[in-house]
Amino acid sequence: MMNFVWLLAVETAEAVEEGGGLFDLDATLPLMAVQFVLLAVALNVLFYKPLGKVLDERDGYISSNQVDAAERLAKAEQIAKQYQQELAETRRQAQSVIAEAQEEAQKIAAQTVAVAQQEAQAQREQVQRELDEQKNQAMATLEQQVDGLSQQILDKLLGSLAA
Amino acid sequence: MLMIHPLVLAKLEVGQHLYWQLGGLKLHGQVFLTSWFVIGALLLVSFLATRNIQRIPSGLQNFMEYALEFIRDLAKNQIGEKEYRPWVPFVGTLFLFIFVSNWSGALIPWKLIHLPSGELAAPTNDINTTVALALLTSLAYFYAGFSNRGLGYFAKYIEPTPILLPINILEDFTKPLSLSFRLFGNILADELVVAVLVLLVPLFVPLPVMVLGLFTSAIQALIFATLAAAYIGEAIEGHGGEEHG
Repeated sequence: MMNFVWLLAVETAEAVEEGGGLFDLDATLPLMAVQFVLLAVALNVLFYKPLGKVLDERDGYISSNQVDAAERLAKAEQIAKQYQQELAETRRQAQSVIAEAQEEAQKIAAQTVAVAQQEAQAQREQVQRELDEQKNQAMATLEQQVDGLSQQILDKLLGSLAA
Repeated sequence: MLMIHPLVLAKLEVGQHLYWQLGGLKLHGQVFLTSWFVIGALLLVSFLATRNIQRIPSGLQNFMEYALEFIRDLAKNQIGEKEYRPWVPFVGTLFLFIFVSNWSGALIPWKLIHLPSGELAAPTNDINTTVALALLTSLAYFYAGFSNRGLGYFAKYIEPTPILLPINILEDFTKPLSLSFRLFGNILADELVVAVLVLLVPLFVPLPVMVLGLFTSAIQALIFATLAAAYIGEAIEGHGGEEHG
């Protein structure tokens, strides 16, 4: 350890004697500056510009895509809404059509029933009339027969009296 | 000294550099070697990530997009939604360069490659690099202030009262100073601590410190980039603003 410290001191001393040392500023400084500026220029052409352009283009691409997507989303939502409205409309129409049809059917049924009842009534009345007629005829026939029989009876009775 | 050398398992070298000569100018070769590696890695990864760009990212592209978004958020938070875009390359490169430098220093066993003098380490391990980055940051926020507010930028020196003029001027010096020394000191200290521990106990014991070093390195990169962005944002906004460590 002591050896090393001693050595370090000696070496530094040597270096200083040679004109070197830690703080030895010389032509390295301006040349390094020139070199650095050249590096910056080269990297600007080779690295910053192309990649920066790509980054900016990608940003533009992404944001335009985002705007586009948002637009399409809004459009899709609008279409969905419209469809829903149409669906509701159609459903309402269907309901009204059904109601109408039911009403009509009921009307038709009622009409048919009424017609049938009327017919039945008419038939019944006709039958009744026929029945009455036949009854009258039968009554008339019976009356005639009764008249004939009573005449016969009367003749018989009068004959026997007369005899 | 020569008798001691063989006893030492690992050698610590502080303040030694691999000097290159460039027309009478002295350069720290090891800093450039690793910085070229870092720059190469960054360019390669960027190239691979943007070679075949997809709208739906995957793999490396995804990762680098994550990094870019992180940097953008950082710049946006500090500079503001309206003005941050032109500053993303600067702040981002600061972050990426410092981050990759720090982690390369912590993760890649540079010391296996022997240099004639000095040793390879994170580029941010050298004061020249950090001062260069800090001075660039100063230039950047001066430029941001002047380009946005013209000469009205000078008004910030007498805000909220002219009494604070010296302090406000001093701030322009303390900002790069604190930026550069914070980064330099943290990275150098981290590497030194790891090196000393490795020297003393070569097995397992340095591991937690190394993990801590990774954490510190990442935080330092984040701090540097965030503060640079904050200074720029402050210069653009011009409401005085508070001093950041």
